[in-house]
Amino acid sequence: MTENTKKVKVKDIQRGVWNPETISEIKYKAATGKHRIRGCGSTQKYPSFDDLLVLPSQLSRLSIDTYREDCRTQTVLGSRFAKNPLVIETPIMISGMSYGALSKESKTALAKSTQIVGTSINNGEGGLLPEERDNSYKQVVQITPSRMGFSLANIEAADALEVICGIGAKPGLSGHLMGSKITKEIAEFRQLPEGIDLHSHPRHGDIFGADDMVLKIQELRDVTDWKIPIFVKIAAGRVKEDVKIAAKTGVDGIVIDGSEGGTGAAPVVATAHLGIPTLPAIVQATRALEEMGLKEEISLIVSGGIKDGSDVVKAMALGADAVAIGTGTMIAMGCVVCLRCHEGKCAFGIGTQDPERRKKLDIDDAAQKVANYIQGMTYEAVLIAKAAGKTALANMEREDLRSMTLESCAMTGIPLMGTNYTFTDAFGFF
Amino acid sequence: MVSLDIAGMSTQDVNRKLKELIRQDDDIVVKNPHSVHNFATALKGSRTVSVEGSTGFYTGGFLQGPSIIIKGNTGLYTGDNMGAGEIIVEMNTGSNCAPSMVGGTIVVKGHSGSRAGWGMKGGNLIVCGDVGLWCGKMTLGGRIIFLGKVGKGIGESMYNGVIHVLDPDVEDKLGGNVTLISIEDKEKKAVEALFKKYNIEQGVDDFKSIVPNVSGRHEYVLFKPTHKRTEAPK
Ligand SMILES: Cc1cc2nc3c(=O)[nH]c(=O)nc-3n(C[C@H](O)[C@H](O)[C@H](O)COP(=O)(O)O)c2cc1C
Repeated sequence: MTENTKKVKVKDIQRGVWNPETISEIKYKAATGKHRIRGCGSTQKYPSFDDLLVLPSQLSRLSIDTYREDCRTQTVLGSRFAKNPLVIETPIMISGMSYGALSKESKTALAKSTQIVGTSINNGEGGLLPEERDNSYKQVVQITPSRMGFSLANIEAADALEVICGIGAKPGLSGHLMGSKITKEIAEFRQLPEGIDLHSHPRHGDIFGADDMVLKIQELRDVTDWKIPIFVKIAAGRVKEDVKIAAKTGVDGIVIDGSEGGTGAAPVVATAHLGIPTLPAIVQATRALEEMGLKEEISLIVSGGIKDGSDVVKAMALGADAVAIGTGTMIAMGCVVCLRCHEGKCAFGIGTQDPERRKKLDIDDAAQKVANYIQGMTYEAVLIAKAAGKTALANMEREDLRSMTLESCAMTGIPLMGTNYTFTDAFGFF
Repeated sequence: MVSLDIAGMSTQDVNRKLKELIRQDDDIVVKNPHSVHNFATALKGSRTVSVEGSTGFYTGGFLQGPSIIIKGNTGLYTGDNMGAGEIIVEMNTGSNCAPSMVGGTIVVKGHSGSRAGWGMKGGNLIVCGDVGLWCGKMTLGGRIIFLGKVGKGIGESMYNGVIHVLDPDVEDKLGGNVTLISIEDKEKKAVEALFKKYNIEQGVDDFKSIVPNVSGRHEYVLFKPTHKRTEAPK
């Protein structure tokens, strides 16, 4: 052995398969005989919106004055059949996060933030908290497979309904709420015994298949008298097929949640390996709706890993009418993405039901921060859109984008930067 | 009493008409239902709607008060999300009867399929005949009474509520995370009262009750290993 080789320390050797994370996962299984549960969703590195760039306007297009000219952000969702579509002032909605996964204080803060910026909140699984309903600007109510805390009264309080089939973090799996979060209050709210881990249904007991869902949607139309929009939320997987089926069931809007999407608790193996990310999912969803000639009729809402205004503007250019954010709003309130949401010991009073920890969250301060975050994101989106020559966010087109990598080019059909060419399926280009 | 012939009417028109008639505070007799789906969705009021024939899927979904009497059969998902009132089915129902029901009473005089009482949260479900697999799965409340034979996996992962059964072989068909106990006196009274109200001639002494395990953790079988642990050969 030479002197040189001796000097390399084991800790400095590059690790492939047997990296510290793999080793920790094996040890966990060796100790428990089970898969690991974690909060926050996938930690995988996925292709992202950062792999796309927006083309600014120069001579071929005229830019809009960032500070002195308007760019419309008001967003109307669900006007396919609903008499009263959902009208929000920014295309950034707050996604469904359950009271249970989140504390009452954080749900209330999120609701209050929607009043400040004029957007919608979604109750998530496990009932509609009165504090949320009373403080929200627009209220989306989820119809989850478990129907915990769900009744006609919730529908009557809703500005839109969302029938959920799955979430990007753990598609094909049911909701989890670990026993540590099922306190007396949550137990009463959800009709559960205290302290027992909840694994709810992955399928709706009253929708066994797409044909039945057609009838279900008609039933919900009868219940709502065709007044409020009905969305369906699906996790990104076989997006094209799922979107086409969803469109045929007669909904007004489709929410696609990519695999980056957050969660309060999920098996790590599910978050990492089930489903596809948001970027390719939007493209497939848009293609599916265009093939059916329904792109203009059905609203497309996307979520999963949306973090800033550039993501919003690019998602919209690819065909989204709005985005929904979850984890970002939690971070705005103080969350540091410690991945331990499921333990219920959140030091910031967000992902916890412990009365002492809950006191840590100042509701009004948190509401203002979430509102600031959404406003800041909207500013960013508007800034880019104006530079691209748009007077409305909804005017963003895929023609305004270029791919930074061969991978994103292949995946999205958006030409590689510096070219007008793409390969794989064309995406309405040239 | 008013009579309504719904032959050829769309579901939407049927429900609109029912809402209109029930507001006039009259009992309604429905003729020629022809297995219409989504019959009486979210109907409110306190009158009786008798149907001379069969209805389809989602009969009486989100019902809020009236009594619906179906002289024939109903399809899948009878009384889904029902909040209050009664649905009495003189014959059989399809599978998934009373899913996510919140309140009121459903009485099935004949048989029901699999998954009756799935995710039920309140109210009463009585099936006089047999039921299939996985009935009362993950119920969160309410009272389920099965007079006939039950299928496998009954009561799987119940969190709340109670299922009363007569089937003598029920012990072999229990789902996970539940316990079979003998029926308590106060439960007997409640069941007796329901039987009396709905003219069901059946004693209550032989019933057993399935109740959820409410302490410890729920156990799940994620896959079934056929291999049993063995001692190493000497
Ligand atoms: C704490 C938490 C709880 C959630 N609870 C629900 C829920 O009850 N129902 C649901 O459909 N999605 C739920 N989600 C997923 C979100 O609705 C959304 O799909 C996801 O957060 C979007 O991705 P993002 O977090 O990267 O923005 C939850 C997410 C989080 C972070």
